[in-house]
Amino acid sequence: MTAVEFINLLISALLLAGLYAAVAVGMTIIYGVMKIVNLAHAGFMMLGAYFNYELFEWLHLDPMAGALLSLPVFFVFGMGVHWLLVRWLPKSDQPTLSSLLLMFGFWLVLQNVGYLIWGNSDRAILTAHRRTLPLGPITIPTAGLVVFIAAVTCLAVLQFILHKSWFGRSVTALIQNPYAAQIVGVDHQKTSQLTFGLGTAFAGFAGALMAMLFSFNPDFGRPFLVRAFVIIVLGGLESVTGVAFGALILALIETFGILFIPAGYQPAISFGLLVVVLLVFPTGIAGLLKRKWRLA
Amino acid sequence: MPEVPEKLLLVENLEVRYGATQVLWGISFSVVKHAVTCIIGSNGAGKTTTLNAIAGVLPVKGGSIRLDGKPITALPSRERVKRHIALVPEGRQLWAGMSVEDNLLMGCYLPALRSRAHLNLSRVYDLFPRLKERRRQLAGTLSGGEQQMCAIGRGLMSEPQLLMLDEPSLGLAPILVEEIFGLIRDIARQGMTILLVGQNIHYTLQVSTYGYVMEVGKIALGGPSEMLLNHEHVRRAYLGIA
Ligand SMILES: Nc1ncnc2c1ncn2[C@@H]1O[C@H](COP(=O)(O)OP(=O)(O)OP(=O)(O)O)[C@@H](O)[C@H]1O
Ligand SMILES: [Mg+2]
Repeated sequence: MTAVEFINLLISALLLAGLYAAVAVGMTIIYGVMKIVNLAHAGFMMLGAYFNYELFEWLHLDPMAGALLSLPVFFVFGMGVHWLLVRWLPKSDQPTLSSLLLMFGFWLVLQNVGYLIWGNSDRAILTAHRRTLPLGPITIPTAGLVVFIAAVTCLAVLQFILHKSWFGRSVTALIQNPYAAQIVGVDHQKTSQLTFGLGTAFAGFAGALMAMLFSFNPDFGRPFLVRAFVIIVLGGLESVTGVAFGALILALIETFGILFIPAGYQPAISFGLLVVVLLVFPTGIAGLLKRKWRLA
Repeated sequence: MPEVPEKLLLVENLEVRYGATQVLWGISFSVVKHAVTCIIGSNGAGKTTTLNAIAGVLPVKGGSIRLDGKPITALPSRERVKRHIALVPEGRQLWAGMSVEDNLLMGCYLPALRSRAHLNLSRVYDLFPRLKERRRQLAGTLSGGEQQMCAIGRGLMSEPQLLMLDEPSLGLAPILVEEIFGLIRDIARQGMTILLVGQNIHYTLQVSTYGYVMEVGKIALGGPSEMLLNHEHVRRAYLGIA
């Protein structure tokens, strides 16, 4: 492998990592606050992709504007889903079967609504963005870069919100110690609803961004669920930084894995990684680091 | 004629159970305004359960809790924080991965308190200068004594009229135990109403004015702490003096 090839792979890994982080972060905060494994995340991503597609087809809206618009729209949508369905789940400090089934069922509903409206053929948003930046032998796809910048910017804003606002502190407090959150007066139900809205907003946003890069159908999003699990296991639930770290590791392994594994097996990488990590470090890499400052 | 001490908290026939196991069997006691009241008792007697029930973290099966004469038994915990009841829980229960300052600020989480968050913060820093030095540090990296200060500080941030402390000296070195009880005495001297659960029975009875002895979910004995210190049963069972 030449240096140029190496750099090109590194760049595509980095761009991929930004996207993966945007996909995983919504699941992470929802899991952290509510201990719900949100399988419907894939469905929200699919809807985000079609949302952007329809805006582009009918209103000729720039897909980047469409992606940004998906944030408030899916935030409200997520709050509604929480109000309608999620809030009736029994409260638990561990994932429950009922929550898993509810979210799985809801994903199936979303998927089938997708098939009903858009059929099962693949769609894509075709824009003029398919160029690469001219940097000699190094290639940076423009669309990928734009998507990366958007994803990272939104993650940075989320990080800021989580650290500097009262809502963000209540999210962190519920993730780290729900009992302590309760005794200072955090309203679990209210923070959960906002968190579910935020998680859904990021799912829709990630889907809308990916629609600028890949073609999609109503099953879109499924392959990213396992990847999101891997990222969560690698990076832990503590922070956006953890998610970014997990996303980077996964993207690096997947990208450079192509050198050693036939491309057809690439989806198996994330699954294999999930199994290995769960066997070797059941608490995740973040759990290993965290043990240093465990409270007595 | 001696003045009748005014009662801030009145607990009557309180019953609590975890699933099928009943833990509190109708306990009654009161907390006098601007004084320290303590509950002592052996492990598993139900002291933590009592404080959690008052804080609204546990559902109550029977009996009533009154604050300033008004029933609060059915209120959710945040409504009790709003009525200025603060719990400094057993085992500190800090957010290990949050900074000391964010841990303290969370004590002012309720919207009604937020505008005074920074004022309260500077008060807590005056009381615990050590926390100010370490305010950017993660709470999980504090020493045991500092963690306890942080937990007390968080309780004070919510401007309590009733401060409940659950075993504040648990697991601390003797010199720190002394420091923590000194602090409790200082806070009490400023007029705070305190309900103290203590493992260190000698110190606990010395710092408090009134005390109750709890035994397997019932109040066995109650009265002025001085009287309890000299009570034959207390001396034999808890202080190891014949
Ligand atoms: N979550 C729970 N589920 C079931 N039983 C519980 C639970 N918490 C406490 N108990 C039981 O309730 C009883 C009283 O417990 P509690 O923690 O209130 O005692 P305590 O007086 O605070 O004891 P310690 O001095 O050890 O802190 C114990 O027998 C305990 O085993
Ligand atoms: Mg206890």
